[in-house]
Amino acid sequence: MTEFSVPTRTHGLTRTALPLDGLAARITDRFPEVEATEAYGELTLHVAPEHLVEVLTFCRDDEELDMALLSDLSGVHWPAGDHIIERQASTTGWPEYRVSREQGMIEVLYILRSLTRNHWFRVSVATPDDAPQLPSVTEVFTTANFHEREVFDFFGVEFAGHPDLTRILMPDDCIGHPHRKDYPLGGVDIPYKNDKFIPPPDERDIREVID
Amino acid sequence: MAIDPRTEASLSDDVLELFVEGADWESVVDAVEDETITINMGPQHPSTHGVLRLVLDLDGETVTRLTPIVGYLHTGIEKNAEVRTWVQGTTFFTRMDYLAPLFNETAFCLGVEKLLDIEVPERAQAVRVILMEFNRIASHLVWLATGGMELGSTTMMVFGFREREHVLDLFESQSGLRMNHAYIRTGGLAQDVTEDFVDRCEALLELLPRKIAEYEDLLKRNPIWNDRLRGIGPLDAETATRYGVTGPLLRAAGVPFDLRKAQPYSGYEQYEFDVPTETAADSYARFLLRIEEMRQSMRIIRQALDTLPGGPVMVADKHIAWPSQQSLGVDGIGNDPEYIRHIMGESMEALINHFKLTTQGFTVPAGQVYLPVESPRGELGYAITSTGTNKPYRVHVREPSFVNLQAADIMARGQMVADVVVVVASLDPVMGGVDR
Repeated sequence: MTEFSVPTRTHGLTRTALPLDGLAARITDRFPEVEATEAYGELTLHVAPEHLVEVLTFCRDDEELDMALLSDLSGVHWPAGDHIIERQASTTGWPEYRVSREQGMIEVLYILRSLTRNHWFRVSVATPDDAPQLPSVTEVFTTANFHEREVFDFFGVEFAGHPDLTRILMPDDCIGHPHRKDYPLGGVDIPYKNDKFIPPPDERDIREVID
Repeated sequence: MAIDPRTEASLSDDVLELFVEGADWESVVDAVEDETITINMGPQHPSTHGVLRLVLDLDGETVTRLTPIVGYLHTGIEKNAEVRTWVQGTTFFTRMDYLAPLFNETAFCLGVEKLLDIEVPERAQAVRVILMEFNRIASHLVWLATGGMELGSTTMMVFGFREREHVLDLFESQSGLRMNHAYIRTGGLAQDVTEDFVDRCEALLELLPRKIAEYEDLLKRNPIWNDRLRGIGPLDAETATRYGVTGPLLRAAGVPFDLRKAQPYSGYEQYEFDVPTETAADSYARFLLRIEEMRQSMRIIRQALDTLPGGPVMVADKHIAWPSQQSLGVDGIGNDPEYIRHIMGESMEALINHFKLTTQGFTVPAGQVYLPVESPRGELGYAITSTGTNKPYRVHVREPSFVNLQAADIMARGQMVADVVVVVASLDPVMGGVDR
């Protein structure tokens, strides 16, 4: 039987959660360059890649924040170009969604959670999509290991300092990073008898399907 | 031992490769002397819960390192969801963790509802809670059944699957499907529960406590069960937190963290229940904990049934509510003739609305949300990004099985090869969820 340590810190929701503005203030006081935004009752901190490890280490070790758990780590690809969605303005009255980017970005989102204070927030880091690179946080949170491999697999983000940055869900000989928006959605040759070229879902002609 | 002639060429100076079949172990031991052996367990192995491959570094019979290799079941569900409407998303996500489909459906729908800023009717919330808690029991029963089978208790396997079938019968009677229900929809439920729903639940609540007591009698003081589980796969609270492990494993290490209490959703704050914890932090503690969790789930179901409110099960907003109506006809459940008459014969607007919603779906405001629920395996979170269209821009799923599997290495180190089976069983990974 292996020896293992008995929990030393008090666990459980023993202290009340900090309000969102208190959470934001705690971090922006220490790191003035961090930008905090709030939407849908959720707090997002926008951090520059060079401060990422420092901010996450502070969140983990700070007595007030006590964010011991990295819940989630995921990526979102925002390619370059104009993104305008007008339809909703006429039907729902929501503001028109109009975003124009000169440089495509890959946004990596870290969900940090406190097990004692019951508060959480999101840390957002952006990196250019043509040469995506971020520092690895596996030294701060061991759990980031699989997550970072997944983001590397799907988006091609190179995490500097990761102990074993290899593909995790896609096959080792896979080409490209499938969750990027520029990855072809389909159009692969199907090697079956009487096979037909299947176009990607966004280029399919609905009338052909009905025929 | 026969060294495969095909591999002679691949033998390098520093790595000795041996291809052996069953009953050749003695000859391997002679050949390797005191070197470390690396062996493959899986991807086809009865105890790996699907297609999980474990690469074990062995010093004698002691595990010095365990490397889980996943991805064999990857189906690209997250990517697929980006080209389907929000309503169709439920159909995909229910197929990820196939032992906890209702948790996946609920978590995704709660996320979309948060973006839409709508409140689901109370009846739909209560039914969601009842079905989710029954799903938790069914999932823990499968864990008990497969875990028992892996340790040689075929009786437990038959028992576990037998009672789970009763729970699945309830799901089938409500949704039409045993698994992958797509019953929970954005804005409520696909349809109201049947008239005999409460009676069916009552019958299960009468049956399950007796059966769970039976399993406890069978296993709790069983010497083989005790020998195989006690002290195996230790994971203390600090390490569990560092590895992102949540759910029963974290609670078995003494941390009473449960999202139903921490961030109540679907009205969990109305129900009285305890968050059981254990302190031993080994596989036996996880067994005790899951048994107790089943009891707490029944406590929640009891209260939810007693206070089951009436009323609609879908939001009133016609821009979101799924328009189709179902009713029971002579040949089973199908389109309601009254509703068909209404859209085909009476109201052009109703027909247009039906057509638009079923083909294009509704649009969801732009934004990002993260919505976690407490699944049988831990924190199941949906990180949803919307750009205001009728399709998700990106949905990422924080799968507890995927995250927890990382801890298998630290839990198995220093233990015997046979204990790896126990370690993986106590983690309870579902490969459909790990690979997504």
